Amino acid sequence: MISLSELDNLYKAILSQDVEGAEIAAKACVAASVDPIQAMNTASEAIKKIGDLFDRAEIFLPEVIVSAEAMKKASAVLLKDIPKEMQKKKAKFIIGTVEGDVHDIGKGIVATMLDAEGFDVIDLGRDVATSKFVEAVRAHNPAFVGLSALMTVTATTQGAVIKALKDAGLRDTVKVMVGGGATTEFHAEEIGADGWGADALDAVTKAKSFL
Amino acid sequence: MTEHTTRMGDGRVVRMSSEKIRAELETGTKEAADKAKIPELNGNELETLYEIVTNPSRIVGVEMGREAVMSADAGGFSLFMDSGSSGLGLPIERSLALGAITEKVLGIDIIQESEPDASFKAMKPISPYLMVVCQNILQSTISPLMHISMPNLGYFYKPDGPWDEPIGLLRDGKFDAAKASMEGAVQQCTESIVYVATHLATIGIDGINIDTIGAAGDPDFYSALLATEAIKKQNPELSIEFGMATESVHGFHAQLKYNGTRLAGLWPHQQVKLAEKAGADIFGPVINTKSQNSFSWNLARAVTFTKQCVKDSSIPVHVNMGMGVGGVPMFETPPVDAVTRANKAMIEVAGVDGV
Repeated sequence: MISLSELDNLYKAILSQDVEGAEIAAKACVAASVDPIQAMNTASEAIKKIGDLFDRAEIFLPEVIVSAEAMKKASAVLLKDIPKEMQKKKAKFIIGTVEGDVHDIGKGIVATMLDAEGFDVIDLGRDVATSKFVEAVRAHNPAFVGLSALMTVTATTQGAVIKALKDAGLRDTVKVMVGGGATTEFHAEEIGADGWGADALDAVTKAKSFL
Repeated sequence: MTEHTTRMGDGRVVRMSSEKIRAELETGTKEAADKAKIPELNGNELETLYEIVTNPSRIVGVEMGREAVMSADAGGFSLFMDSGSSGLGLPIERSLALGAITEKVLGIDIIQESEPDASFKAMKPISPYLMVVCQNILQSTISPLMHISMPNLGYFYKPDGPWDEPIGLLRDGKFDAAKASMEGAVQQCTESIVYVATHLATIGIDGINIDTIGAAGDPDFYSALLATEAIKKQNPELSIEFGMATESVHGFHAQLKYNGTRLAGLWPHQQVKLAEKAGADIFGPVINTKSQNSFSWNLARAVTFTKQCVKDSSIPVHVNMGMGVGGVPMFETPPVDAVTRANKAMIEVAGVDGV
C-alpha cells in the first residue's frame, strides 16, 4: 500500500537537507511497509529536484552536499529491505582534471552531484597525468571516466587520454565523458568521447542515461 | 519558407528558418527572465534582435552615433603570443603591442596591460616590473591605461597556497573548516589585489581591472568587493573595473554577505549594485554562452540579463564579449559574423556603455 505521508516526509527531509530527518523518514517507510523501491525512487526524485534548484542558483554546493548525505542515510535504511539481486549496483566513476590544467572547481561540483546521485566516485584530483587515468581505469574497472578541462590548450589532452586508453586496450571497457569551460559537444565528438556534460547537472543526467 | 545562415553556440554554421529563429529568441529571453526573475525582452526588442541575426551581411556594425567604448582585455597579447592554436606570434616588443599598437593601430579606447599569469597573487612579487612596463605604456599612449588581473582565489588553496582546498573539505562534511579556509584565502587575496593596485597607482596608472571575479565562487566575489573598497579608500582617483567570470555567483561558502546582501546566487543586475557600493567605476557583466543552444537563443538570453543590469546600474556597464560569453559562440577564434552581431545587439538593445 502506498503511504503518501511517509514518502512525502522522506522527500521533504532530503530536499530540506535534514540528514537525521531523512533517516527517520526512511525508517518510517520501512515500518509502514512502504515498497522500498518506491521509497528509493522518491528519494531520487528529491535529489533530482536538488539538482534543479542548484542549476537555478537557488541552493548552493553546501546544501547539495548535505542533501546527498541525507540521501545516503535514507538509502542505507531502505536498501536493507531490497533483495540484493534487485539492488542497482553503484556505478564507479573515475574523475579528474587533465594534465596541465589546475582548475578543479567545476570538476569538484560534478563529483559532488554524481555522489549525490549514488555514483561511486573516485576523484583523482587536478593536473592528472594521462598515464594515471589509464592506471586508474585498469585498477578500478570503472563504468565511467570523466575528464575535465577548463582551457582550450588542455581540452586537447582529453583526446590524448582517450587515445591512451585505446592504446592500453581499455577504451571499450569504459564510457568516457568530458566537460569543462573550454569544451563543447562538437569537441567531444571530435575526440571520440562517449558523452559531454554542459554543466554538472547535464553530466549527471547523461551519465545516468548510459546505465 | 525563408532560411538564414546562422550559428550554434559552439560556432557551427546552421541554416534556420525565420520562424525557428524567432522561436529561439523567445525561448532565450524567457530562460533568462525565469532564472533571474527579471522582465523578458519586449516584442520590438526581439524584432530588432531578429533583424540583427538575419542581416545578410557577413559583419554588422552599430548605427552612427551609437558607438560604444571598447577595451580589449590585454588583446595585444594576441599579436606577440602564440599558444599553438591562437595568437600571431609576431616579433613585437610586448609593451609596444599592449600599448601603442593597441591604441593607435587597433583603435581600442581603454588599454589593458597584463601578464601571462594574470593573477594578482602572481603579480604581487613583480609589482616593480609592472610599474616599469606600465610607465612605458603611459609615455607612449593617450588612452586610459588599466592593469588587468584576476583574484583567482584558487591560488590561495593547497597546493598553490596555504589554505586547505575547500571543495574537498565540503565533500568530507567539514563545513566549518571549509568556510574558515575560504575566509582565510579571501583575506590574503584581498591584500594581494590592494598591494598591486597601490603600487601601480604611484606611477599614475588610470585604473585596475579586477577580472573574472567569482570564478572561485562567492568568496572570490567577496574578495573583489573588499579589495575595491580598500583601493578606493586609499586611491579615490584610481578607477576600478569590476569584471565578472560567470552570470550567477556560485555559493561555495554560501553564507558570505556584503552590506547585508548574501552573495551566493546573485545575478548581474544584483551584482552591479554591490560593485557600486564597494566603489567600482565600471561593471563588466558576464553571461555564459550555452554551446549546445543556438546563437539566437544565446543572444536573446544574454541581452535580457545585460539589459536589466544596465537598467539597474548607476555606473557604466562594459559587458564581456568574447569566446563563450555575451552570446558569442564558444569557439577559440570566435566567428566575426557572430561577434559583430552580438556586440551590435548589446549596444543597441541592452544599452551597454562599452564592450
